[in-house]
Amino acid sequence: TAGNKIFHFGSCRISVSVTEIRSGFAAIKANIQARDPIRTLSILSYPHSLHKVKSSDRCCITYQLFNFYVDKVFKHCKTEDSYVNRKISSIANSFLSVKRKLGQCHEQNKCMCGQESTEKFKQILANYEGLNVTSAAIKSLGELDILLDWME
Amino acid sequence: SGELYCSLPNPRNVHFESINMKNVLHWSAPEGTGDGVLYKVKYSVYGVGKWIRKPECKNINRTWCDLSSETSDYEEQYYASVKAFLNGMCSDWMETTRFNPLTDTKIDPPMVIVSSTEKSISIILTAPEKWKRSPEGESISLLQVYPGLQYNVSVLNKKTKKRWLFSVSNNTLVVPWLEPGTAYCVSAQIYVTTPLLHSGFSKEYCIATLKDKTA
Amino acid sequence: EDALLPAPQNISILSTNMKHFLTWSPVIVQGETVRYSVEFQGEYEREYANESWIPICECSLITATVCNITEDISATVAYNLRVRADVGARRSEWGTLKGFFNRITTSLTPPLMKVIADGYHLLVELEDMGPAFQFCVLYWKKGQESRMQQKVVKEVGSVVHLDTMEAGPEYCVKAQTYVEAINRSSSFSQTQCVRAQGGRSMWL
Repeated sequence: TAGNKIFHFGSCRISVSVTEIRSGFAAIKANIQARDPIRTLSILSYPHSLHKVKSSDRCCITYQLFNFYVDKVFKHCKTEDSYVNRKISSIANSFLSVKRKLGQCHEQNKCMCGQESTEKFKQILANYEGLNVTSAAIKSLGELDILLDWME
Repeated sequence: SGELYCSLPNPRNVHFESINMKNVLHWSAPEGTGDGVLYKVKYSVYGVGKWIRKPECKNINRTWCDLSSETSDYEEQYYASVKAFLNGMCSDWMETTRFNPLTDTKIDPPMVIVSSTEKSISIILTAPEKWKRSPEGESISLLQVYPGLQYNVSVLNKKTKKRWLFSVSNNTLVVPWLEPGTAYCVSAQIYVTTPLLHSGFSKEYCIATLKDKTA
Repeated sequence: EDALLPAPQNISILSTNMKHFLTWSPVIVQGETVRYSVEFQGEYEREYANESWIPICECSLITATVCNITEDISATVAYNLRVRADVGARRSEWGTLKGFFNRITTSLTPPLMKVIADGYHLLVELEDMGPAFQFCVLYWKKGQESRMQQKVVKEVGSVVHLDTMEAGPEYCVKAQTYVEAINRSSSFSQTQCVRAQGGRSMWL
């Protein structure tokens, strides 16, 4: 089904084609997660789950995460499999579309960053930079459902 | 204890089978091994350091292990692993793919209760409950797990053989202005748009509208 | 020395109801089979991935002059598309679509709809146009356009129940498609009117 979803982050209201992103991810989930042998570390959930983020900080952490994926993650996920690469491109372009919408909210001061989201995002970057860039990018891509589950 | 000599073929197709978040680990016996193979199981929460043994599934000869209790937090994701033993030899640990209870579970059809009057039928739908540790445990409806949960309801007029479809968000549906003395069969399906999940259709529950007293 | 193979020309997009096709004119080389390959580039690739291009393997070395790019145009951003020709070891330059393509420009046609009266029940059956589509169905008692009612229908290929009807007046129905991903709707279908069947009035 169509599966666009309107996300309300306080006064920031954005439409996200979640079903398209999820179906793109579902098509490559097993392939990407199989490339990530590290079970003991999560980029998004370590040491604390995204579910611990206060609701007032949800918009900012979402905005920072979409920027994180667009700016840092997708470009280091190129594989030898052209089908996987096409699906990554589809997710990346959808993320870019959402990043733009969140950026507008941020510019209109509707997506304020509090102490907690800043700390949480610092932790995510630390987790990311704790691994070599390709492993970190593939692990982050493999955790896309953690982000989507939390957003929904 | 010192590891045994691990040249036994590996368990195969190690995977979770999940229905309403009752999460059971399944596998197939190693190739070419007859009876007598024993297994042990461990699991881990993704992103957390350690593997945890499942004592109730140590030295078992069956090829499944219920890990529902250990994987009941659907905000986490999990791995599980199985090792086989036979005649002093063992296999490698064989792992599942990463298991996400929220998106990887299957959902049972809803429960359907039908009643009728002379010209209408009333349908009450109940979503299945999430697996719980014990009958006394707190009941959590899948409606709470998937807030966007909706129902498709199919109503078949047995006389005309015509089938109508209703899509409802709440759990009751009244179909008025029906023909008296006519049999109708109802079945229902659950669907969730994100994550994209849907149950099969339930079996058909048939009921007849009462006969027209004035006729 | 072999003449340079000309790049494909007249490259254009045919996009209807969220199905997108790239087409081009054939490159003519007497006595030879010309094959074509297609690549796409989204806004992400242009701005964050060194303007990289991604091949569409279903349209690699094909002889047809059309390629279904629907599955790859799966975000509402501006895409670039290009095609090149191959004959044996000879290869042309890329021919690139003039301007970008964004799926938001797809043309949306009104849905095929069948309105059914079954006793006092008003029902509608809508064609399956793909997962991106929902339908906005409007229905009203003829002559009472001001009291129009609306229902969003996602189920396709089934007879969907709209409402119950009073015996006597005609009820009219029209529908349009709605695509959430691009937040656009088609024009409305033809209006169809039906009347409740069955002799006695509902109020007897």
